Amino acid sequence: MLLLDYQNVLIQSVLTERFSGAPPVSIDQTVSDFDGVIFHISTPDVKTKIVISIQIRCYKDLVRYGAEEVLNREYGPYVIPPEPGYDFSIQVDLENLPESKEDREELVKKISLLKRNAMAGPFEQAYQEHYHLKQEAAKFTSEEAPQGVREGGEVKAIHYREEEAIYVKASHDRVTVIFSTVFREETDRVFGKVFIQEFVDARRRAIQNAPQVLFRNDPPLELQDVPGVKNTGTGDIGYVTFVLFPRHLTPQRMPDVISHIQTFRDYFHYHIKASKAYIHTRMRRRTADFLQGKQLLFIAYIVKLAANQCAVLRRARPENEEKERKTASGRTFKVGS
Amino acid sequence: MSQSLRPYLQAVRSSLTAALCLSNFASQTAERHNVPEVEARTSPEVLLTPLTIARNENERVLIEPSINSIRISIKIKQADEIEHILVHKFTRFLTQRAESFFILRRKPIKGYDISFLITNFHTEEMLKNKLVDFIIEFMEEVDKEISEMKLFLNARARFVAESFLTPFD
Amino acid sequence: MSIIQQITADDLTDNWRRINIDALDPDSSLNFPTSSLHPPQPEISESDCRNLSSAVRQLLRGGDAEGALRTCLENPVYNGPDGVKEQHLGTVVEVLQSIKASEMSPLLKRVYEGEGGVELLDCLMKYLYKGMGSPGAGSGGVKVMTPQTTGFSQIGGGRNISSGDSTGSAMSVLLSWHEKVVEVAGLGCIGRVMTDFRRV
Repeated sequence: MLLLDYQNVLIQSVLTERFSGAPPVSIDQTVSDFDGVIFHISTPDVKTKIVISIQIRCYKDLVRYGAEEVLNREYGPYVIPPEPGYDFSIQVDLENLPESKEDREELVKKISLLKRNAMAGPFEQAYQEHYHLKQEAAKFTSEEAPQGVREGGEVKAIHYREEEAIYVKASHDRVTVIFSTVFREETDRVFGKVFIQEFVDARRRAIQNAPQVLFRNDPPLELQDVPGVKNTGTGDIGYVTFVLFPRHLTPQRMPDVISHIQTFRDYFHYHIKASKAYIHTRMRRRTADFLQGKQLLFIAYIVKLAANQCAVLRRARPENEEKERKTASGRTFKVGS
Repeated sequence: MSQSLRPYLQAVRSSLTAALCLSNFASQTAERHNVPEVEARTSPEVLLTPLTIARNENERVLIEPSINSIRISIKIKQADEIEHILVHKFTRFLTQRAESFFILRRKPIKGYDISFLITNFHTEEMLKNKLVDFIIEFMEEVDKEISEMKLFLNARARFVAESFLTPFD
Repeated sequence: MSIIQQITADDLTDNWRRINIDALDPDSSLNFPTSSLHPPQPEISESDCRNLSSAVRQLLRGGDAEGALRTCLENPVYNGPDGVKEQHLGTVVEVLQSIKASEMSPLLKRVYEGEGGVELLDCLMKYLYKGMGSPGAGSGGVKVMTPQTTGFSQIGGGRNISSGDSTGSAMSVLLSWHEKVVEVAGLGCIGRVMTDFRRV
């Protein structure tokens, strides 16, 4: 699995099963997703009415930037008042499902994208702002444009994790998305640098039309006046900037681009961890190889050790020998090493 | 093999062969004790001149001979942060299994990445030329492994980055 | 040898536990006078060393590399301040660097077969090891090695190109000399370097 899915697979599978016409059962399941998001699937009243609730740390931020419009647009008829302890809830009545199979699948897909849609609010708003600013800017030459048009919209901060945030800023010719990300330890930091360098270089090398990626350890200029952004100077926070150009900002590509860019932070860290794991396994194997070589050296060239002591050493490593065992009836079978 | 690696390993090999000339020597300070003199350092007259073999300032080997033991410390090439981390992790893996390696010292001496301690008891049990071979092979393998892992990491990072950015294209 | 073996700032109160009382005992093996392991050596001052080095340079300019090398090795600095030892090392390395690779072996053979040749090559070997041991040898390189930052264009400014190349080339000269000396004088040469308590 290289790229991360946009939807929540667990919700998808639960709902697919429920919608396929299986007899209704009571459900009470808590599902976790990236970035500390928690879903709750339950049937509080009757078995046919499934409630799906989501809890997002940054829901307040999201509402400020238009998440509710997006959610109401997507889930309009299903929205119910939020379940206590959660930020947003929808309810699906199994007795009142869409007729065709395709439509049902569509609904499952839509519900499993709940997190994505909740997070999409600020991005969509930034897109709209960009269109607006573009129109405005078309009326002026670049020198005489009024302050607001030249500088672009305000920075939308989404504090989606405890120490990390996404910042979105629209201008007349681009939308800038900045991820702040924390490296917990030295290895992550160094590996992260290697990975990010490749993101930065990819545009130059292979994918000319990709968004421009920038990286720095101190807050970028765009974030200078944003509250809560401070330069720690320790370098354990990195700021990854994606600059989306007009070719990424067409209304047709909007849903895909928004879905994809949301997964960046998790994708990035996931691959750092995966590389670390691979390198650990590899080192472990190499160490074992050395050990094997050393052991052979030792066993093969023993000058003083008597033969019986050799046997002791060999017995100390029984896993390399095939053992023969007997069953109760006296038949033998081999235990592979 | 690069130009200066061969003379470097050759110099390590000849120095080690010359230095691995150990005899049993009981401690002069504690009765019925027999300790590696190079570690105990209680009798200055049995500690011989330490030899340094260096390829450049980041890659060197220190051989500290004494009458009944020699200590070999290796500084592995670390050209940048990634290699630094990889070397650190790899040597940790090795030193944590020190007793299985017989001659590996649990802790490297200051300024080096990994140390070996060979005593007269080791040379009595193992053939000297094989021990030297092992150390040389070890140095080659570690260098190779570190650079391979670094290449792997870069290749993987490139692949990951390109796959993420391709959907935008 | 220091009486107190390890000192850390925060356990000064415990320091008495770390006093190596053996070192206070004049009969202890710790206090074995290593100077008795070799005959007394004449002390060489800085001006002697400077005279020697200019004489060697004179010979080098005259094209007599063998003579220069011999002069260096016949007058090693066994007894003198560290600065003088370093200075003499610099002279030796300079001579070694000025000799072409193809001339090494014949030259070494001539020296080895000449009078006191074994002694001279042992001394050369001592300087080779010392040269490799001191990081700044011959090129005044940086002494402390810090890992360079990853070649990462946007972080931490420009890439720090260390003096590794120049020291690297100085070391490879010493390494190829080492190889040639072992070829000519054998492993015994290294053995004698280790066991000789006259250290350069």
